[in-house]
Amino acid sequence: MKKVKIQAGLDAGHINTKAVIMNGREVMGYGNAPTGFDIVGAAQSALNNAMENTGVSLEDLEGVVATGIFKDIIDSPSLKVTGTVPEFKSGAKGALFLNRDSRTIIDIGGNVHKAVSYDQNGDLLDVVQNDKCADGLGIYYTTMAKALGLNEQGLTKLALKSTKKLSVAIQCGLSAETDAIDLMCQGEEIADVAAAVLRYIAERVADMSTYLSLTKEVVVAGGIARSQVIIKHISELLNQDISVIEPPEYVGAIGAVISEEEE
Amino acid sequence: MTEKASIHKQLDWKKAKVIVAGVDIGAVNSKALILLDGQPYASSHVKTLIPKESAFGTINAISDKTGLKLENIHSIVATGIGRSQVPFAEKTVSEIACAAAGAVNIWGPSVRTVLDLGGQSCKIIHCTDRGRVNDFLWNDKCAAGLGRSMESFADLVQKDIDEIGNIALQSEELLRLSDFCSVFALSEVLDSKINRVPEEQVIAGYHHAVAMRISTLVARIGLKTDLVIIGGLARNPAIIKWLEEILGVRRLAPKPAWDSTLTVALGAAMFADSFHRRR
Repeated sequence: MKKVKIQAGLDAGHINTKAVIMNGREVMGYGNAPTGFDIVGAAQSALNNAMENTGVSLEDLEGVVATGIFKDIIDSPSLKVTGTVPEFKSGAKGALFLNRDSRTIIDIGGNVHKAVSYDQNGDLLDVVQNDKCADGLGIYYTTMAKALGLNEQGLTKLALKSTKKLSVAIQCGLSAETDAIDLMCQGEEIADVAAAVLRYIAERVADMSTYLSLTKEVVVAGGIARSQVIIKHISELLNQDISVIEPPEYVGAIGAVISEEEE
Repeated sequence: MTEKASIHKQLDWKKAKVIVAGVDIGAVNSKALILLDGQPYASSHVKTLIPKESAFGTINAISDKTGLKLENIHSIVATGIGRSQVPFAEKTVSEIACAAAGAVNIWGPSVRTVLDLGGQSCKIIHCTDRGRVNDFLWNDKCAAGLGRSMESFADLVQKDIDEIGNIALQSEELLRLSDFCSVFALSEVLDSKINRVPEEQVIAGYHHAVAMRISTLVARIGLKTDLVIIGGLARNPAIIKWLEEILGVRRLAPKPAWDSTLTVALGAAMFADSFHRRR
């Protein structure tokens, strides 16, 4: 049997950097930081944040496993990075670890969204990523919440009160933004506009996911998964039960450590 | 800044014969301007959230500082994309006509092109020496939201919107970005970090792409001098510098005492003034 060791997983995404501290296969705690332009600095603060939350010091850490779009940038000895794992793999491994019955993960990030299906060992079967016109769904979500004077949870809460079906663009986030502002200026209720914004996000994700044969169970990751309205729409559009993986933000970071563990 | 009002202290509305207001409900900011017998007296800026509430917000911001109430104003004209959401306005006038009237009032009869770089839309307006509209071009859908996108971009790179233009100008080189679609451009900005492109080059590149995009719109209708640039992006020095370079034309210099984002509201107030006098 392998000796249990304390490791960290760092998922350096387009918008947010997430860190997890794990003792073997047991999650000890989390930390995060906005990625910004100082990617290494963000990784450092996410990691420090996670270490503070768990009481683990840098000396206790055996190593750090990196994943996410900027994994190669944070791959430095100063961060104790001992290995990197591609995003599709950390996503699959993380999702399977958190839900043994899952076989597909839909991951909605700040700038890209993708779906990965895998077998009972978390090995890749198929993968699909959004087309470029649908980039930035996560950014769009935050921008729209701000444009309507709300935060992300507020947007979802308000959408639940919607009574009238409106729609914003069918293709790109830019026209969806324009359409939402136009609707507000035509005097539509803010709750109905919020609902249209969330339905737009769900439609983009569902469109992409139909390119993949969605093997059960299907789980959703990424901060956006916390919006029950988006989840409900995706589930209806795909005509399939889906569940949110807990915690949706840290699936990649956890999966990175699990992949390394299994090596 | 979510709400601000400024007042001309030498004037007193209680002594004025004609009090009129222009209210400009933009996609990002709502503005109001009060004229006392044709003289600018008070103005306000409020973020546009729910357009109807923002419309009241612009007047309330002025009332709080002056005691001037809605019922004291003789005539009100609403303009801007949300102009239909101003219940207290007597009339609405398009922002195209208001921009031309306001710009000629401030910069004088030599103005022939007004470029309005707003939060949501970008308009190029050809006008006469009296501020009447001859022709105009509205942005195509893919170029919508250039102003608002600049705010999203500033958030992404964690810079202040009022500082970002100066940062762009500090770079000697610039990253080439997609200049057709801002969704592509923002995505390229994020990916550029993989290649460790210096921050200021990315910021410069984004500004240059926006200036290129605006210049293609201008090319479609043509440019007649003198040129005036108004709207939120007109305060961004990098956009102005590159736009002037690409167009090969210098704009008329901003008036030190005039906030150019109020130009459209001024035009609306001028229409209100003439409606009132014709009654």
